[in-house]
Parts: sequence; C-alpha cells; structure tokens
Amino acid sequence: MSASEKINDLKIRREKIVLGGGEEKIKKQHDSGKKTARERIDVLLDEGSFVEIDAFVTHRCNEFDMPKTVAPGEGVVTGYGTINGNLVYVYSQDFTVIGGSLGEMHAKKICKVMDMALKMGAPIIGINDSGGARIQEGLDALSGFGEIFYRNTRASGVIPQISIIMGPCAGGAVYSPAITDFVFMVENTSQMFITGPQVVSAVTGEKVSAEELGGARTQAAKSGVAHFSAANDDECIEKVKRLISFLPSNNKLGAPVYAPTDDCMRVCEKLNEIIPDSPNKAYDVKDVIKEVVDSADFFEVHEHFAKNIVVGFARIDGSTVGIVANQPRFMAGSLDVDSSDKAARFVRFCDSFNIPIVTFTDVPGYLPGVSQEHNGIIRHGAKLLFAYSEASVPLINVIMRKAYGGAYIAMSSKHLGADMVFAWPTAEIAVMGPDGAANIIFRKDIAAADDPISERAAKIDEYKAKFANPYEAAKRGYVDDVIEPSTTRQKVASALCMLKSKQEGLPTKKHGNIPL
Amino acid sequence: MKKFVIKVNGNVYEVEVEEATGVVNTPIATPAPAAAPAPVAAPTPAPAPAPAAAPAPTPAPAGATVVSAPMPGTILDIKVSAGQSVNAGDVLCVLEAMKMENEIVAPSAGVVAAVNTSKGASVNTGDALVSLN
Repeated sequence: MSASEKINDLKIRREKIVLGGGEEKIKKQHDSGKKTARERIDVLLDEGSFVEIDAFVTHRCNEFDMPKTVAPGEGVVTGYGTINGNLVYVYSQDFTVIGGSLGEMHAKKICKVMDMALKMGAPIIGINDSGGARIQEGLDALSGFGEIFYRNTRASGVIPQISIIMGPCAGGAVYSPAITDFVFMVENTSQMFITGPQVVSAVTGEKVSAEELGGARTQAAKSGVAHFSAANDDECIEKVKRLISFLPSNNKLGAPVYAPTDDCMRVCEKLNEIIPDSPNKAYDVKDVIKEVVDSADFFEVHEHFAKNIVVGFARIDGSTVGIVANQPRFMAGSLDVDSSDKAARFVRFCDSFNIPIVTFTDVPGYLPGVSQEHNGIIRHGAKLLFAYSEASVPLINVIMRKAYGGAYIAMSSKHLGADMVFAWPTAEIAVMGPDGAANIIFRKDIAAADDPISERAAKIDEYKAKFANPYEAAKRGYVDDVIEPSTTRQKVASALCMLKSKQEGLPTKKHGNIPL
Repeated sequence: MKKFVIKVNGNVYEVEVEEATGVVNTPIATPAPAAAPAPVAAPTPAPAPAPAAAPAPTPAPAGATVVSAPMPGTILDIKVSAGQSVNAGDVLCVLEAMKMENEIVAPSAGVVAAVNTSKGASVNTGDALVSLN
C-alpha cells in the first residue's frame, strides 16, 4: 500500500466510525426525537472546537455473538473542545451502536477523558444514552462502571462534573450521574431508574410507565435526582451551556467574571414594599432575588424540587454568586427533609468551587410532623448546619422577615460563620414565634388572668414588641447591620467586594463526616 | 348523622359522626367493632384520621389530578367549587400552616372535579384537597 493509499484508507476508516450504527439507526434515533451522539457534541461545543480521542478503539470480547459484532467507536464518542472559549471534556454515548451499551473498552474511553479532565482541571460533561451494561462482557462491563464511579468520586470538588441524560440510563449506569454535581434530563426521551417498570411489576406488582417511574418530571420534581429538565435535546444543551458560564474550570480558580451589566449602586425601591404587613402573608422570594442580582438574571437549580427553598446561580457586579433563599410561597418556607438536602448540597457545591453564597432568610422553622421526624429531619436538617459551618467561601445573609429558633441558626447565621449578616427592619429574629413563646413564658399569667384570651393576646403583643425585631440580634452583634431593604443590592455588592480576599482554612483533616 | 367505615391496625370499625352543636357532653363517636375478632379497642378517637368536626370529604373521582396538602394545617378558605374552570397557578384554597396562609395553587389548567375538604378542616400531609379533571 502506498502512502496515498494509506491516507485514503484512514479516511475510509474514519468515515465508517463517524457514521456510528449506520444511517438506518440514525434515522431511528431522529424519529424518536433524539439527536445523535455527535450532533449533541456539535451543539454543545463551540463550532469546530471538538477534538475526538480514541475513535479507533474497539471491543475485545470473544464471548457469544461479540466476535462478529462491529461497534464503531465502541458506542461512545469522547474528546474535548470549548464552550464560549473555555476548555471542557466530553463523552457522548452512541445509542445507534449496540444500544450505547457499556463494555470494557467503552468504559476505558470514558475513563481516559475523565483522567484528562482532572489532570488539566477542566469540567467533564457526560451525555448518557445507553441501554446499560453490555451483558456479553460480564464482569468486564461491571468493572467499567466501577472505574467510572471511582473517578467521579475522586474528581468531585476538583472539577465541575455534569451529566446529561438523553435516553435510557438504568441500573448501575445511574450512579455515575448521581455522583456528579448536576444532572440534566430531557422530558419523554430520558429515564433514570435502578430497576425498570418490568422488574418493578414482577417484584412488587406495581404497574407504572417508564416515564412515570423515572422520567424527567419525576426525577426533577419528586426525587430531586435531576437538577434540570428540558423539553428537548436543544433546550437541554442550552441550559448546560448557561450553567457552565457560571462555573470556574476547577477548584483552584474563581468563576469567570463578566463585564457588569447592571449598576451595583442601583436602589431597589421595590424591596421596601415587598414584605406584607401581615406576617401570615406570603410573597415570592424570587422577586427579591431578581431585584438584587445583575439584570434580574437568575439561573435556578432544582426548580421543581423542594420548592420551599430556592437555590441557583446569579451574578452581582459581574461575578458569580450562589443564592439560597427560603420561599414563603411554598410550605411557608419551612425547612423540611428535602429542602435541607437541596440547600446543603448546593452550599457544598459553591464552597467546593469558590463561589460566594448570598442567603435570603425568611424561615418560620423546621417543619413539624410525624412523617418529617420519621423520615429523619434531624439527620437531614443537620446537613444544612454542617454545610454552612464548613463553608469557607464568603457568606452573606439577608434576614428579611422570620428567623426563628434552630432554623435561624441553620440559615447562614453569624453563629455558623457568616461573614456579613444584614437584617431588614421587618426581621423577626427570636428563639421562636411570638405565639408559641408567649404561651410558654407567660403560661402562668395567662392561666391566672380573668380573661385568658385577651391576656394571651396582650402577652403575644408584648413579646412581639420586645423580641420580634432585628435589634435584639443587632445589639449582640449577631446582625452586622440593619438596612433599608432598597439598599440591599448596594450592601451585598459592597460586602462581596470586601470579602474577595477572605482566607479561612479548616483544621487539617481527611474530610468531615457530614451526617448523610 | 354520617356513617364512616374506618380501619385501624387492620380492624374495621363503623363510626357514626354527628356535627356538634353547643356543648358536647358525650363522646360523639362510638366505634362499633364490625366483624373484628379479638382486641376491641376502647372508644378512643385516637389514631384514626376521623374527620371529627369536618363534614364528610368527597372522595376524589378516579382519573382526576388530586391536589393534596403539602403539610399539616387548617383550611382557611376554599376559592373554587366543583365544575369551575381553573388555570395553572390559580389559587384553589388557603392552608394555614406554620402560621402562614399558604396558597394552594392548581398545578395545571382543568375543571374542578370535586372539593375534597372543607373550610375549617384540619388536614394532614397528603390529604386530598381538590381534584381536577
């Protein structure tokens, strides 16, 4: 073979690989509303930036039908490229090649780009569309899963890891996404579950569709496994790019800083009127967040899960901040099992990647109830305390209204290491709500009174006047300043600027033991 | 007087419930063990979710989307009635819990198939409030 023939041979070989499972299978993929593995990479990365690695890898399984089975690219496309100019590593499972099934060499390809991502300190994005383990490869396939989980865990907190679910992701395959930082799902075309509807039906007798069991809506709203859901592949990839824009490439860097789009001295008049006069009335905390952050641009994480707490990314003066806020519109903004988990995980992500956290507090307390206690609100609630206490990034808290008892402590209080705690004049910072406190403190007075009902009301008012305000906490320095709500953006922006040089280390240890 | 059949720890009881007017001197519910062998429970209205003061809740019709209570509390107000059309985000009822008036909203557009609770009722997490078709 001459050199030119060899070059031609290379072209032919590569063309075959690029075609994946062939035109028929590609058509099938398109007909089911899905893009192919390569099309997804093309949409995700900057045009022409993708560099493929390991295109020529093949399986080496000699069992069953495998010697005759040709699997171009081993059912996964791997490599690197850029998103808005920033380096990222990517792997994209190819469902057209033996169902995107994961065998030994398929896993090795994934592990190689994971290792590179970790070495170079750049995010890894995995696009999952696979029938699961390649059964013919037996233990070698299982080993592949294990190696991926191991790398996911080792890379956790070092580089951002993002999982995009764009097809089936079942059994062992679910645990790689579960370990990563963010999981994206597409409605109707992606499902995640440990065991599928058939096994569920055979074992427990429950009849359930795949979508109902583990579709995007279920995992994004009920279980919280997915952080984001999208209507289709394109919308999903847009969201991934938006997320990436807020993140640093690794834990040694700060998040990218953009030219400010908004005046950091802007007065937010609207905030002076946002708190209803009655403490029983709700408002939408997202309105507060949008007033405070740059250009009302807030990218919410876990939008549909545990809505009683709101978390997400935004920018203030062009720099990324993580936002955590109680949402009075849902379940009174109380902390429960799910909202504690959601917020704790978000706080830990921000802390891992040097993203300052701005907290907006309006919390009536931990949610009482048998089911909450039996589901371990003690254990889950503790995670939030742990996460804030452990965080060494700049922590700013704005107490808008209620901040009672243990929940007050949990929500980025001074006691857990918050750097700047602001309170609005509407803040009520106390050991518990006025009704409950008056009932306990003045129990005897109320019982002895001629008219216990009006005596009780009088005592509640007395307690309110004395304690349901921000000044008792400010007297003790637990609140650094009481501010006019309209100046919140100015105060937060100024505090973030002041805190840029914050240096705080933890005692030397392998890692803490967060109450999981 | 309304009759309910309730099941406590596998024992079936038939309970009669009467709306109380004025001072109550006698227990209003007298459980009559129906075909229940062995331990006859004392007539305590204890763990059963007996809707003591509330009128009988309408069971949710099959196939309807049931909007249920996200946490325990008291129904302060009901804003819709059966047959009414609602849009996603419309307030169905107001649940007072954690000293807050929590607006329970329609998750999607539809027609109110039934109101499963009543003003003043105490509800638990997961209790059906309103069903939508």
